[in-house]
Amino acid sequence: MTRLPTDNHLPPMAPRTVLRLGIGLIVGALVAVFLLLWTAVEAGVPLPGKNAVTPAKMQRGGLLFRTDEPGAFLPAPDLATEARIRINGMVARVQVVQHFLNPHDEWQEGVYVFPLPDDAAVDHVRLLVGGRVIVGEIRERQEAKRTYEKAREAGQRAALVEQERPNMFTASVANIGPGERITVEIRYHQTLRYDDGAFRLRFPLVVGPRYIPGTEPEIGLVNAVIVTAPPRVPDAERITPPIRHPSRGMANPVHMRIELNPGFEVAEITSPTHAIKTTGSAEEGFTITLDGDAVPADRDFELVWKPRPGETPVAAVFTEEEGDGTYLLMMVTPPETEGAPRDQALPREVIFIIDTSGSMAGTSMKQAKLALGMAIKRLSPRDRFNIIQFNSVTSSLFAAPKAADPSTVRRALAYTAHLRADGGTEMLPALGKALDGKKDAGRIRQVIFITDGGVGNEAELFRVVTDKLGDSRLFTIGIGSAPNGYFMREAANLGRGTFTYIGSIDEVQEKMEALFAKLERSALTDLRLTLPHGMTAEVFPQPLPDLYYGEPLVIAALVDRLEGEVVIEGRMGRTPWRTAVPLTSPRPAPGIAKVWARRKIQALSDAVHYGADRQAVRDAVTRVALTHHLISRYTSLVAVDVTPVRPENVPIAKRDVPLNLPRGWVYGTVAGEQPTGAPQPARFQTGLLRNAAYALPQTATPAQLKMLLGALALVLSGLTLWLYRRRA
Amino acid sequence: MRRRRIAAGVVAAGLAVAGLWHLGGGAWIYAKAALAQVLLEGSWERTQRGEDKVRPWPWADTWPVARLRVPRLDVSVIVLEGASGRTLAFGPGHHQGTPLPGRPGNSLISAHRDTHFRFLKDLEPGDEIRIEGAAGTARRYRVTGAAIVDRRQARLAGGGDRPRLTLVTCYPFDAVVPGGPLRYLVFAEAAERI
Repeated sequence: MTRLPTDNHLPPMAPRTVLRLGIGLIVGALVAVFLLLWTAVEAGVPLPGKNAVTPAKMQRGGLLFRTDEPGAFLPAPDLATEARIRINGMVARVQVVQHFLNPHDEWQEGVYVFPLPDDAAVDHVRLLVGGRVIVGEIRERQEAKRTYEKAREAGQRAALVEQERPNMFTASVANIGPGERITVEIRYHQTLRYDDGAFRLRFPLVVGPRYIPGTEPEIGLVNAVIVTAPPRVPDAERITPPIRHPSRGMANPVHMRIELNPGFEVAEITSPTHAIKTTGSAEEGFTITLDGDAVPADRDFELVWKPRPGETPVAAVFTEEEGDGTYLLMMVTPPETEGAPRDQALPREVIFIIDTSGSMAGTSMKQAKLALGMAIKRLSPRDRFNIIQFNSVTSSLFAAPKAADPSTVRRALAYTAHLRADGGTEMLPALGKALDGKKDAGRIRQVIFITDGGVGNEAELFRVVTDKLGDSRLFTIGIGSAPNGYFMREAANLGRGTFTYIGSIDEVQEKMEALFAKLERSALTDLRLTLPHGMTAEVFPQPLPDLYYGEPLVIAALVDRLEGEVVIEGRMGRTPWRTAVPLTSPRPAPGIAKVWARRKIQALSDAVHYGADRQAVRDAVTRVALTHHLISRYTSLVAVDVTPVRPENVPIAKRDVPLNLPRGWVYGTVAGEQPTGAPQPARFQTGLLRNAAYALPQTATPAQLKMLLGALALVLSGLTLWLYRRRA
Repeated sequence: MRRRRIAAGVVAAGLAVAGLWHLGGGAWIYAKAALAQVLLEGSWERTQRGEDKVRPWPWADTWPVARLRVPRLDVSVIVLEGASGRTLAFGPGHHQGTPLPGRPGNSLISAHRDTHFRFLKDLEPGDEIRIEGAAGTARRYRVTGAAIVDRRQARLAGGGDRPRLTLVTCYPFDAVVPGGPLRYLVFAEAAERI
């Protein structure tokens, strides 16, 4: 029998010692609780008194609801933008200069959400103020943000450029003194698009308001409470800047200067969006400026230049040596596409999706209806079709696709004529309805999506495209003055189709004809690339896309040497196609390495839509971006001036620079009803347009906590005295 | 020995001061909540006589918009415009952007669970709530139900044609530490006009 150790076996303790030990323990515990509560009151818990809005702490969302006195939050910094674009061959080097002017007598922080082309490789930011130049550094995003915030609090001038979407960025500039001007210079490289015998450069000037889908409007069903899953667009707040009311006039004048060295004889240089002035020649280069001084930033700028007939390069290779290897960018134009046969072998099933949300109201809807009408008339009786429209709800012309006979076509045209734009942009159900995930070799299935892409839940939509594509092909038609280029390109890319922009009513005819050529002719498919023997290369995009009529193949690669020739093979319908491109006489061009890295980042990010591990993608993207000094979703550029300028006790006010409403948009249909009728900057309502949804506030005081803390302190005080007396 | 006595005295005094400071701070929050309601009576009367936006004290950034009564519980509070932390210290706050209490749609009113809206836990379905509006108008509401929601996952919808009230406060009622994510909501719908 084992004996358990009991108290008897321990040396006896004096009663005094036990008492002291006990009191010591109690005091210790009380002190611990006291400290814990103290820290809770002072730091962790938001106290109502601390929530009081001071200008420096004003949250972005606060702007909308503090509108009782017009002008209460209007004095955001004024802004002017300059764009200097240099085009060499296939790559454009763009410098965007933003001048922040503070006309007020307080210190300000300006926050400006601005667009860039969705394939922009942003590698450079500089802060110019008072004759000083501060060059920005690339940092991991959170680290960059901390650096910037520290500088802001310390009164130093600082700039931070972050990526919200591949085509949407935020510039924050801290400590703009009263009456001062601070300039932020941003530089990027971009590849040009060649399609239908013309090169195109798009420079977006304004971010169209984005709809943030929320939950279904279930008002009255469950006592007005909408319980949502975690937010579908976690960064909604960051991508919905305030919009300037049109009655306040236009903000942000833009100057542009473009230097164009096309590298071939040019037939014409035009802009379908703006009046331009062109000087110079093909040999010495062209200089293009806006006709007139400056334009308001309310729509995309587009420049189009066409080579003389017969001047179109069949293949072009550009290279740049950098660090560890040779980067190359290659464009190959399949010459056969010129005479590509009309594909009559298989019947088509065409599903049109048309966006009839509030953001489409106005000229956009006219363009969309005209385009849709043209496409319907173009159908052959062998084709089957359907029309799906969506705003807050999704509906369709027919329950299932029907043959395009005269009577169904008539019904479809009448349906189109009666479409009206209003309400939210709940795109997900419409896309889910159009893509059926099926495969059927007996037909060609094409989904034609007409929209301005004014949504913030791109990631969610891309996931549906990759999940449910089947053998359908998705073609996006970007409508209006400022479509969401990232959505257009990426949806078409993942949907293995192509994208088209229609910027004005005059363009509908031409652009739709070009699209019909793509839809009705055989695509160049099953493309494969064979490298010279013994060469190793990292090639993007991977796999190679299908090419539609008029499209070239553009690839970027990192190679270990330049020799031999690259062979590209594919088939057009049943006809095989093959071409060989020699790598022996490349044209050196700066920026190719950045363009390659940008494409690698895109390829890595795309993997997420196919279910890749987010953390792994994040790490991989961060590595590439840091190596190549590029902004990405996970890396930002930050510039900090070392000398503090703002006196320590003077507060700084944070201001969002309101954006213009894109040209042709209708203010009321996107901004919803405002709490006051005053022309204040509006924010796109989260979730529901007219039935705004409200978040719940903080509704408890720390009174009990404070009183408990107080009582505890008093007890401790008494205990200290008592303990001391006993000892004495 | 002398040194130790001084040290003990300083510690005890310091703790006593801190204790009284916090006790006072807590008490002041309750006092302010009660006192403000008394001070609001004057500006509420002027509001009922037809004056618009009567600020109860010159530096106030809010004004009374309604009186909320619950006859069964003998509750009567004056509702202020806006639901910022500063406003809620003085009275229940009407959320700007939602319809004024008494108007069609869902009016959202918030208050602290340990002061003005402590009575929410005693409300039961069928209870009558009276809202007296600015220009002497009045409307009766019936409590239809209550819910506990996580504020991170819940949003309230506006809209609708009938006048409705949603009263919001923090949950649980007896938690000591403020700032939790749960909210207690009481819903009421307009009955006929009085």
